[in-house]
This record gives sequence, C-alpha cells and structure tokens, in this order.
Amino acid sequence: MSNNTSFITLLSPMIIGTLLTIVALACISPSVSQPYASTDTTIKKISLPASTISLPVSKLPGYNLALQKCTICHSVDYIHHQPPGMDQKAWTSAVFKMQHSYGAPINESDINSIGAYLSVVYGTAKTDDPKIIEASKSTVSSSLSTEIIDVQVLLTNNGCTGCHDINKKIVGPAFKSIANKYKADTDAISKLVLSIQHGGSGKWGSMAMPPMMNVNNEQAEALAEFILKQ
Amino acid sequence: MIDNKKHLVQKSRRQFLRNAGALALGVSPLRSLAATDNNEGVSLAGGMRPLVKYPEKRDLILVHSRPPHLETPFSVFNESLITPNDAFYVRYHLANIPTEIDLNKYKLSVNGAVKKTLQLSLQELKSMADPVDVVAVNQCSGNSRGYSLPRVFGAQLSNGAMGNARWTGIPLRTVLEKAGVSPEAMYVIFNGLDKPVLPTTPDFKKALNIDHALSPEPLLAWGMNGEDLPFLNGYPLKLIVPGYFGTYWVKHLSEITVLDTEFTGQDSYFMNTAYQLPDNDCLCITPGSTADKNRPISTLPVRSFITNISAGDTLPSAKPIELEGIAFDDGSGIKNVDISIDGGMTWLASTLGENLGRYSFRPWKLAVSFPQKGNAIVMVRASNKNGEVQPLRATWNHGGYRRHAIESVAINVT
Ligand code: HEC
Ligand code: HEC
Repeated sequence: MSNNTSFITLLSPMIIGTLLTIVALACISPSVSQPYASTDTTIKKISLPASTISLPVSKLPGYNLALQKCTICHSVDYIHHQPPGMDQKAWTSAVFKMQHSYGAPINESDINSIGAYLSVVYGTAKTDDPKIIEASKSTVSSSLSTEIIDVQVLLTNNGCTGCHDINKKIVGPAFKSIANKYKADTDAISKLVLSIQHGGSGKWGSMAMPPMMNVNNEQAEALAEFILKQ
Repeated sequence: MIDNKKHLVQKSRRQFLRNAGALALGVSPLRSLAATDNNEGVSLAGGMRPLVKYPEKRDLILVHSRPPHLETPFSVFNESLITPNDAFYVRYHLANIPTEIDLNKYKLSVNGAVKKTLQLSLQELKSMADPVDVVAVNQCSGNSRGYSLPRVFGAQLSNGAMGNARWTGIPLRTVLEKAGVSPEAMYVIFNGLDKPVLPTTPDFKKALNIDHALSPEPLLAWGMNGEDLPFLNGYPLKLIVPGYFGTYWVKHLSEITVLDTEFTGQDSYFMNTAYQLPDNDCLCITPGSTADKNRPISTLPVRSFITNISAGDTLPSAKPIELEGIAFDDGSGIKNVDISIDGGMTWLASTLGENLGRYSFRPWKLAVSFPQKGNAIVMVRASNKNGEVQPLRATWNHGGYRRHAIESVAINVT
C-alpha cells in the first residue's frame, strides 16, 4: 500500500493563509460573506489510491463468482467492512439487494452461491453446513450457460461496460487504447484472453481489473477480438 | 472569552486546555488509544479500518475506497469548533466519480418546469448575487450506524461522519427565481457529476420540496472555511441544506430540475426507496419487523458529544476538570446541555459558548470534580428550543439512520 499514489494537481499554487482573514460573524444566518481568494486555475485534477483489500480465498464456488461480480461497481471494502456474525440469510439478502436495487448482473443461483460464500468467510456459517452445500451446488453461471456468443451481452452481463468505454478511460483503459497498444502484437488475442480471465493491475495504472473466471475461453476470445478491432 | 481565532482550524482546544494550566486534566491515554482503534469501538467482519491519505485530506479512516468514503477521527472535534477542510468526512455512493474538473467547461444547468433554462458557469453564478455565509453542520444520515443494535448492513460508521463548516455561496432561490419557477412546481431535483458504474444502477439524485427550495436557507456553495471546496467534498459547487442530513447536500452539483409532478422512476431510488425512516412518531421500529409506511429522512435531531475525554481515559479525583463538547440540532437552537458524572442519576447544567449561528456546532463546557476513585460514567444530554431532548436509549430502524441517543463515556478515576 502506498500513500504516494494519491496526489492533487493544480496548475497554479493554491492560495492559503487567507483563512486568517475570516472573522467569526454574529449568529444571523446566512450572513454576508467575507471575500476570500480562490485558486485562479481552471483545471483541477485528483488521482485516487487503489483499494488494497481483497476477498478471502475459499474453495466454495461463490468465491470465484464474487471475485468477478462484486468488484464491478465498488471496492471489496464495502463487503469487508460489514458487521461480524451475520448469517447465511442476511448475507444472501444483502447480495439479493445488489441485483434487485442496483441491477447487479447476477441470477438467482449466483445470489445463493455468493451469499453462502460470504456467510462462511465473514459470518456465522460453516463450509459443511447442509444449507451452504445446497446453496453452492446450484451454480450454473449465467455466462457459462450462454450458448450463442453475443459480445454485447457479454460486455453488459459481466459489467465490462461499467469500467470500459470504447473511446475514453473510465476505471479501466478505453478499448481503443487497448487495441492500439496490442496492434503490432501477433500474440494479442491469447494475452488479452489471459488478462480478461485473470484480471490484474499495473499494466495501465494502479486500478485493478477483477478476474472474470466465469468467462470461458471461447467467450474471452470473442471479447478480445472485439476489443482489438476498435 | 472572545477569541475569534479560536474557531480557526489551526487552534487546538486541547492545546488551549493544556496551556490554561489551571485545570487538571490527567495525562490522557485517549488520543493514543484513538490512534490505534480506528473502528472507535465498532466491530467489523474484516477487522480494523486503516487510516488513509486522499487528495487534499490528512489521514482519515477508510470506510470504502471505490468510491471514496472517509470518516473523520473523533479527536478532530476536540481541535476546533470548525472542522478543518482536510479533516472533513467524505461520502460518495456511486463509483463513477469525476477526477478532473475544468471550470472553463463546468456548467450548472437549471431546467424542467421553468420559464427559461439556464446554463451557468461558476463565474456567472458567483456574480449573480452578493455571496452569503452560513456555518452549518453536515451530518451523514448513517453517522454512528456501527453502534446500531441489532447490527444492520451499510457503512459501519462511528461518530465521525459529521463536520461543521462555514459555507460560502448564493441562495438557491436566486438561481430558481432567475429561471422563473412554474406556479405548478412541486419539487426541485438535484444531480451531481457522480454517475453509476452500470446503467442499471440508479443515479444519485435528491429532491427538496419547492417551498423549502425557495426559502432563504439552502445555498449553492463554492467556498468552505474560506477556501474552494475540497475536490472530494463536491468541488466546484455543493448544495448546502442547513439543518438537514448530509444526504441532501449534493456534491459536484451539475443539474437542477424543477418538477411539476411527483419524482418517480429509477433515479428516484436514493430519495424514495433508500434513506427512509418508519413514518411514525418515534421514526423507529421493533427490530425484525417492517414499517407499514416510510418517509424520507429529513432534519437533524438534537445531539451532543463530549470532545475532550473519551472511553478508557484516566482522570484524577477531587480536582476540577473542565469537560468540553459540542451540541447541534436542526436550527431550532440549543437550549441546554446537561452533564451527568454519576451515570445519569443527577445532571448539571453546562455553560454554552460562542454562537456561530443556529445551524453550527454550539460549544459547551463545565468544570466537574469526581468525588470518588473507581469507574465513572460521564453522560451528555442536549435539549433544544423546540422542546426536543435527547433520549436515553437509541431507537432502531433498518437503515441504522439518525442515531441521537445520549452519549456515555466510561472512564477511570484515580
Ligand atoms: C451494479 C452495481 C453493483 C454490483 C455489481 C454490486 N454492488 Fe454492492 N452496492 C452497489 C451500490 C450502488 C451500493 C450502495 C453504495 C453506497 O451507498 O455507497 C452497494 C453497497 C453494497 C454493500 C453495503 C451495504 C448496502 O446495502 O449498502 C454491500 C455489503 C455490497 N454492496 C455487497 C456487494 C456484493 C457482495 C456484491 C457481489 C454480489 C456486490 N455488492 C455487487 C452496487 C453494486
Ligand atoms: C471493475 C472495473 C473493471 C471491469 C468490470 C472490467 N475491467 Fe477490464 N480493466 C480494468 C482495469 C482497471 C484495467 C487495467 C488493468 C491494468 O492496469 O493492468 C483493465 C484492463 C483490461 C484489458 C487490458 C488488459 C491488458 O493486458 O492490457 C482488457 C482487454 C480488459 N480490461 C477487458 C475487460 C473485459 C472484456 C471485461 C468484462 C468481461 C472487463 N475488462 C471488465 C477494469 C475493469
């Protein structure tokens, strides 16, 4: 973890010290404001530190699903910094809320499987509870069961479009920039298939790409081909 | 004692207390304790929350990193009545947040049921009227959620998701009047530059009643404690709603829409589905049950804290000790702040300090003397001019919102 990844860029130095000219005024509110000098730059830019917390490793199938689905919209600390002692029912309904209220791309069997995993690693459930085994069994992932490969559907269901845009950087690099970087690389497809399935960070910056374990080889190849064509 | 500088960010009240010398405050282990316990008594599935450094911020407690959610360590409230910009808490909901803002491109758009839609640059906004100031508390609806029992899902905050600042801007109504609000207008909707990651997630938008929006209180602010807003607190423009919970104080404000209909649809989620309280007298419910009706959270209930001692401190017996702290409410005005040093059996009236305005933290202090050695419980209870008094026990709701029960601090007297 490095604190240096966080900094602020200003095109001209911030004027401070003017603080001392502000006088505590009487209790009329709102009161007339004392002027203050503000920055005379027009562009203000920040860069944010990446998350350093990862999901606890487990053999339960919900682990791989959570790796892929639960870091699309937010960092893992949303999950890690929850109360201890929550049971399978509570965790499963927390996961259900992600689908129901926020449109997380997960189906009912994903919800049960991820809920089972989270209640084992963070809550009161045990790996060998019959209910955990039952909830973990039914995992037929939405993307594994897709027979026809539709790149647009894959991009949406796996949350790729939340982090990638064709033309501009969001959390991850623009697909155009990726295509550009690998345009002379004859091995590009297999490299990108690996990147998609295993995720990673450091090639484009400090933000991490979640591993997409449930994207099979054929689907990952289709995605890589699509990206390289941009 | 009149000391304007006392409320500026650099001055530490604790330092002041030490310099004053006359009063004995035992060498307190409390700050060192606070430095190691970033959870401030809140247990978490994943263990301790780290301290982190974000742009324009000192080390703050990490709640979430993407999007950033940072809590102010409680010791900061012992430094000054005004919360310094670099210590002010940060809260986002959606991870697609702006990281670069160009004032040559930034515009606030005002649209909907208005005579004339507006596209205002920050400069145009600043020259529309004389700027005004208000000192007001911004407290997160979920401040202290980590103490909710039974526990609830959500950001497990201790007491540091609040802050008191001097906000500089122009009244919201100046802009609404310029646009010409329709006589049929019902609500005003506020949207900022932060966006959801997936299009299936609701955008973060908040609504104010038209009457409230046209009242003198809400401000469109660019200044915070005499500087531009820190980026993570909503640069370049933030909606200030004095007396209301922080959820209404929309950051990176970019769009104001006047509605002559109800606010509905996917993007009304954070107004109509989240941030709800049971719609009954206590705004509460028995754990495990569900309310028949809910209503959006709104104003701040009366609340108070002791800021210069905390749990586990050791204090000397039979010596005068000056306790200090803060109280605040929805702007009705703090009436009394009472202190008990015997676990709530008897109460003593404290002296209220400088009044920076009815929406500000109000400082209080009281010299007490602990008669006996051993464990003691110090409690603080505020009441306001509207007749509200802090309750002894916290009530419960599903969101873990609006905690304002009397605070108790367990100490050792030697
Ligand atoms: C489509 C986007 C999306 C996905 C995918 C998603 N979440 Fe969330 N999650 C959210 C949003 C939005 C919030 C609320 C953020 C806020 O208020 O700060 C949230 C909040 C949470 C919280 C905090 C409690 C609460 O209800 O606010 C937990 C726990 C959580 N998510 C767990 C998960 C888990 C586990 C997964 C994987 C199944 C997941 N999330 C996937 C969008 C998502
Ligand atoms: C949570 C955000 C996020 C999601 C969701 C996401 N990515 Fe990424 N992606 C990133 C980030 C960040 C990087 C840069 C990683 C690095 O610097 O090494 C990246 C990098 C990549 C790369 C370039 C890898 C390389 O080796 O240069 C490809 C290709 C890619 N993503 C494709 C996808 C596809 C396809 C999906 C959906 C199946 C997806 N991404 C989903 C954030 C995301």
